[in-house]
Amino acid sequence: MIHSLFLVNSSGDIFLEKHWKSVVSRSVCDYFFEAQERATEPENVPPVIPTPHHYLISVLRHRIYFVAVIQSEVPPLFVIEFLHRVVDTFQDYFGVCTEAAIKDNVVVVYELLEEMLDNGFPLATESNILKELIKPPTILRTMVNTITGSTNVGEQLPTGQLSVVPWRRTGVKYTNNEAYFDVVEEIDVIIDKSGSTITAEIQGVIDACVKLTGMPDLTLSFMNPRLLDDVSFHPCVRFKRWEAERILSFIPPDGNFRLLSYHVSSQNGYPVGYRSLVAIPVYVKHNITFREGSSQGRFDLTLGPKQTMGKGVEAVLVSSQLPRGVLNANLSASQGTYTFDPVTKMLTWDVGKINPQKLPSLKGSMSLQAGASKPDENPSINIQFKIQQMAISGLKVNRLDMYGEKYKPFKGIKYMTKAGKFQVRT
Amino acid sequence: MPYLGGEETVKELRRALSNPHVQGDPLRHRSTVLRVIRVMSQGVDVAGLFSEMVKACATTDVVQKKLVYVFLCSYASLNPELSLLVINTLRKDCQDPNPMVRSLALRNMTNLRLPSLVEYVQQPLTAGLRDRAACVRRVAVLGWAKLHSLQPHADIDAAVVNELYSMLRDNDPVVMVNCLRALEEILKEEGGVAVNKAIAHHLLNRLKECDVWGQCEVLGVLQRYRPHSEEELFDILSLLDPYLLSPSVPVMAATLGLFLSLCCRGLPAVSLAALRRAQAPLLAACGSASPEMKFTALCHVQLLLRSLPGLMGEHYKRFFCGYAEPAYIKQRKMQVLVELVNDDNVGFVLDELKGYCTDVSPDTAQAAISAIGRIGRSYSDQCLEILTGLLGLKQEHITSVVVQTMRDLVWVCPQCSESVCEALEGCEDTLQDSQGRQALLWLLGVHGDRVSSAPYVLEAFVEQVRSEMAAGVKTELLTATMRVFLCRPAETQDTLGRLLHYCIEEEADMNVRDQALLYYRLLHCGIEETRSVLQGRRSDPSLGVLIGRPAEPVSQWARSFNTLEPLRQCNAGAESAPQAAPYHLALDPEPSLDLCDPLNPSQDRQETGEMAALHRGVAWDQHRAHEHQDGPAADVPGPSSSSRPVKVYHLLVPVADQ
Repeated sequence: MIHSLFLVNSSGDIFLEKHWKSVVSRSVCDYFFEAQERATEPENVPPVIPTPHHYLISVLRHRIYFVAVIQSEVPPLFVIEFLHRVVDTFQDYFGVCTEAAIKDNVVVVYELLEEMLDNGFPLATESNILKELIKPPTILRTMVNTITGSTNVGEQLPTGQLSVVPWRRTGVKYTNNEAYFDVVEEIDVIIDKSGSTITAEIQGVIDACVKLTGMPDLTLSFMNPRLLDDVSFHPCVRFKRWEAERILSFIPPDGNFRLLSYHVSSQNGYPVGYRSLVAIPVYVKHNITFREGSSQGRFDLTLGPKQTMGKGVEAVLVSSQLPRGVLNANLSASQGTYTFDPVTKMLTWDVGKINPQKLPSLKGSMSLQAGASKPDENPSINIQFKIQQMAISGLKVNRLDMYGEKYKPFKGIKYMTKAGKFQVRT
Repeated sequence: MPYLGGEETVKELRRALSNPHVQGDPLRHRSTVLRVIRVMSQGVDVAGLFSEMVKACATTDVVQKKLVYVFLCSYASLNPELSLLVINTLRKDCQDPNPMVRSLALRNMTNLRLPSLVEYVQQPLTAGLRDRAACVRRVAVLGWAKLHSLQPHADIDAAVVNELYSMLRDNDPVVMVNCLRALEEILKEEGGVAVNKAIAHHLLNRLKECDVWGQCEVLGVLQRYRPHSEEELFDILSLLDPYLLSPSVPVMAATLGLFLSLCCRGLPAVSLAALRRAQAPLLAACGSASPEMKFTALCHVQLLLRSLPGLMGEHYKRFFCGYAEPAYIKQRKMQVLVELVNDDNVGFVLDELKGYCTDVSPDTAQAAISAIGRIGRSYSDQCLEILTGLLGLKQEHITSVVVQTMRDLVWVCPQCSESVCEALEGCEDTLQDSQGRQALLWLLGVHGDRVSSAPYVLEAFVEQVRSEMAAGVKTELLTATMRVFLCRPAETQDTLGRLLHYCIEEEADMNVRDQALLYYRLLHCGIEETRSVLQGRRSDPSLGVLIGRPAEPVSQWARSFNTLEPLRQCNAGAESAPQAAPYHLALDPEPSLDLCDPLNPSQDRQETGEMAALHRGVAWDQHRAHEHQDGPAADVPGPSSSSRPVKVYHLLVPVADQ
């Protein structure tokens, strides 16, 4: 199925290759490099490239292309999903998935790839099972290994493969029993010129870090489970119970895992006139104009919080790709700092925290190329921000209970809202 | 890769590996082996260490074994004789009490991929099939597939195949799936695993035990099964139903693929219902965080729309493009948007597309303009307004695509020609590329009577004909000037004379010269003769106003669902579209009308482009004239020859499908 895997960095060098069947020459990647050269942006490389004898299916994550070489007909979604799983595993093991991290841990990477695929077919992909086969490197373990001579490879047959619950190994023991849940929502919005919302969607996840002894059975209930309409669960969740009672009941895997991911959109499934479920937490007042015949343009931008339930909007970063004709921008920011890169025409404004009493603004003029005509494309403004202690969809966890074990665990829930693709057109 | 000090490093490692002190100390021995692997991954040729590494394999340390196996599998093919030494150790490991060691040894034994070792591997593999531990059986099963790929022509041992078939009933789901995979490979020539009723039902019942990858595999294999009765079919369908809403996109797609293959022949209604049900998960996949996943989902949405046009009409906003999305996704989304347009949303969609027309990337802008042109076939007034507005921007690449789009639009919607002719005035100054100018010339030629400035624009072109590089533009210019001459002779006569003189006397390109000669002789035959040859149709006679799109039966595309096919088409469309027209100038266009597939935008855009480029009556006449004068092309069959349509079909199709 998957014949070989090449890891290519953004400058077009293969820095790792792995073959599961016969060795495929590196020259097969020339087709990929051709496409890479043709693409103006790194992310514009098409994910599927046909070559005379192979197909190249690639995934771009963390500025690394994971290029799978395919020799026969395969379901493309399958391969793409698998490649993402590989990247997720690397990230899980090394914390970051960069070229340097992969090169540093090249031996672990080879071992992982060897375990994840056999003869090109997926073998063990569940992170908990892999972690029993190959222990992830940590600073502490690296030190211990050098002293005691043990290694990061498990010497036992993974018990997880034999336990009744495939995602949890048996005999887990902790001195501090804790379960943490992070509700993280990313809001994707496009707002048009006049300030009305074109699309608004929330992509939410609940990530869990569960360190509990034994075989705990958890139930998690929400204040407003109706919000969750378009949901996908970790395989541990008992779906029947969710359908009947809207309660999440599960035996958790050990360690970090994604309990569920969901999607709340502004338009699907609700009757016309129903209040949109997606509240927009930030508003933007903008006035970006270029006059015909003059070499000056006006730039005026003000940000303000909206529907944030009293929580502060933090880590605000505004970026905008100004038209090509703009030579320089002479602006003044009421707070934070701004930079304008005259080569890429990228304006970035690091705002920081929004103070509702004194709204941050960025005002001033832009100088245009002398004699050039008025630019006809309007820049769009991309905003990033974070809101702590709030899930913008209004999702709230009601309670978390544990059955099956005697001790009292420590429980914690954290909410966070982030801007995903938050874009304002001008 | 040149690596400084590579030889030194290898020498030093060899010394370390053969040092008895190192060999005696397991810790040092292992770290030396680790260094070998590290150096190997940096691209140094460490093949010279093979014999030392073979010795290092004989150890009780599992980790060291793993590392040595990585080395051996990479270099075994260079040292087949020495590899024989490893086999002994490996075979001993296959007897180890630890199942992990057994599976490791078995896996690597088969990964050496040396045909000379096959006889030594077979016995442990057979034993492995009956091992107690599931993980050893998993490896052993796939091992047979690897052996088979080493000797693809050797006879298959029927006993092994039977054993593998019986192991489909293994307790471990992964063993079961691996059996399927192995049998698929071994029995490839016979068409893969034979799925009878018992096997199919067994697989279906075990489906929920498998992981997502296994489920995809099983669902794929089951596509080959044909239920015996309708009752059985419906039982299977209701069993599969929950998987249609699986959170894993690959499983969902595989299930839908199976649904379609099961019922697209006999039960089109059921397959349509399945498509409707799969709509929600597919839409969710279109909004997935991974652009690659998004792209693939979009391609499959396009397939769905072929049978259920307007299915996702109310979700059109989901297909609006984000600013930072990759160009390939934007282009696909626009193609989907074109399909989703209806009376309610046409205004919104056009507004949105208008915004993309000024995109920084010319490719995206082009795709947006072509999309507007496509929508213009049903909503011509609104679209023409936008297109005319775009001409006002005087941007080179935008104007070029707008003119091409207008040309294609006029060909199918003759009612637009009035406004197009008005809009054309003055845009010749902004046009730089040959495609755009060809389109402009065609429009001027065909509608020369309505564009008041036509003769003067042509005159300007003729004055610069010496510096013109593209032969396509020159032939187009010849035809256009001839046509304008026919309707406005007084204004054009002088220009035409100069052009013909230049083309016949000075032109180097044979095609252009031949064409000029042809026109010159044609003019000698008299004006009526010329008119009858040159004034072809101005629009496509076979098309009326489009009222809705015809729905294709699902069976047309069911086979290509969840394969690479739908992803391929886009690449071909994008790459070959710009070069399509000039190469096919010498074809008779009419048969190609039948090929025009209004539901596949990429293919269609390109073909209509071609059609318009072709449909100028030129090629046809050229052949006829050559026949008259016994010119060099006299052996080309005439238009009446019955073989032509077939030939054209063959010539056109590769362009669309490559």
